[in-house]
Amino acid sequence: MMGNIKDRYAIVGVGESKRSRKSGTTPLHLALDAARAAIEDAGLKATDIDGFMNYNENDSCTSHQLATYLGVRPKYVKDIQGGGASTEMLIADAVSLIESGMLTTVLIYRSMNGSSGTRVGRGYDPDMLQGALSGGSFVIPYGSASPSQWFGMYATRHMHETGITKEHLGHVCLSFYEHAQRNPNAFLHGKPLTMEEYLATPDISYPFNIHDSCLELDEGNAIIVTSAEKAKDCTSRPVYIMGMSARQCHPHTHYWNDIDQVASDYVAQEVYENAGVTPKDIDVASIYDCFSWVVLRQLEAYGFAKRGEVGEFVAQGNLKIGGKLPTNTAGGMLSEGYTHGMNNALEIVRQLRHDYKGTDRQVEDCKIGICTGWAGPDIAGAMILRN
Amino acid sequence: MKHVTTAYQKPIPLKDQDNQPYWDAADKHQLALQKCDDCQAYAHPPGPSCAKCGSENVSWENFGDDIQATVYSYVVSYRPFLPGFQNELPTIIALAQLDDVPEVKIMGNILHCEEKELKIGLPIQMTWVDITEDRALPQWVPVTN
Repeated sequence: MMGNIKDRYAIVGVGESKRSRKSGTTPLHLALDAARAAIEDAGLKATDIDGFMNYNENDSCTSHQLATYLGVRPKYVKDIQGGGASTEMLIADAVSLIESGMLTTVLIYRSMNGSSGTRVGRGYDPDMLQGALSGGSFVIPYGSASPSQWFGMYATRHMHETGITKEHLGHVCLSFYEHAQRNPNAFLHGKPLTMEEYLATPDISYPFNIHDSCLELDEGNAIIVTSAEKAKDCTSRPVYIMGMSARQCHPHTHYWNDIDQVASDYVAQEVYENAGVTPKDIDVASIYDCFSWVVLRQLEAYGFAKRGEVGEFVAQGNLKIGGKLPTNTAGGMLSEGYTHGMNNALEIVRQLRHDYKGTDRQVEDCKIGICTGWAGPDIAGAMILRN
Repeated sequence: MKHVTTAYQKPIPLKDQDNQPYWDAADKHQLALQKCDDCQAYAHPPGPSCAKCGSENVSWENFGDDIQATVYSYVVSYRPFLPGFQNELPTIIALAQLDDVPEVKIMGNILHCEEKELKIGLPIQMTWVDITEDRALPQWVPVTN
């Protein structure tokens, strides 16, 4: 149990670049924009940061490049290949390195031309995929090469067993799209969605249509982590890390062989234990939403609704601001932006700082929030934060 | 030598040291599954050792060519995500739960299946499609009558 870090580390700065379909610039520029915004948000100087980390899919700039053009000689750089759940893992890594005394303040970023540059899951060589995916030779020859197809296999079974309908998936989309209408920086701001429109949209790969699927955009996000002690030097309101579960795995690397469990089931147990809270203590949530159903499965895993009652929970409007669990309040990856989860982490920090106080975006008086990551059914992580 | 008139565009399963007995059996229109000699667990997909207990004592069992199963889950893709699927849309990709070894679930396409008859629990049986001169791909078809 890692309980001894509870409340001793904080997120002190968040920032993002412009988001668009076509940035017209490089991931390095987007990363610099995001990093400078986060540094300014924290009230720090670039040279206060000694560690730089990022996750990428060979589609970004390196941490060393970013530090260099911020005018900093970094003590530590780390670039990992990863998508969902990497934000939480790198924050945990940063905490560990600060705890060990090797670093003081770490900036973590994700920067990508996810629309105009390399699109996730597109254009890979099929033979490369067979080797890169666990058990790939049993999957790729059958045309299954997209996360929508991999996660969809889980979704169809789960929907069958728990009574979740297409309309319930729609409620997830509608809730987040509604939040995007309050967020002028959301990519789908000005594009509300009705249930009628949702249900009339043809599937790309059943059970998912385009609304069930996350956006693909060009953008950079950054987040700064430091000790609670050092946070006192910052001008921002610190958001403290109560507990984390950095990375949990499905029992089998070839996760299709057991679609009845997901890594999030293991994450939930550990993150609540480390934070010392229960689901009913959570005021606001950022739940990884690469696909609508992924949110529903996590609501079950993290104990926000009982298995079999998740569909009804979202149909009642509980994910909306004003509901029992306001979730992805900036619009999430379905309608705000897409940086493999980091934009959802930025939002939970802003909510817990009450940055939106006095507007219809603020979850009133929220104190404790959860941010979950989902690389897939195979790998997940989460953190619980407080103000 | 058989003459293959139309080049097969879809990805062909790549054999390696762990999966070769499965694909060799498939080429002969048979199913073979890896089994742990210590904990008796069947493994699909096969691996370098048993994923349940870590034992290196794994062997292969041949199940022949009469393979009955039911649909455990499925997706229906209306767009191709890989070469060769563009002319066969929609593509049904399913997990088949074997009648004889329910813990084993094998992914494949369900051929000759109307979307409206597709459902979890649908009885299906394994069939093999000759895709090149020397390779065959296990697939599934609904059980008729």
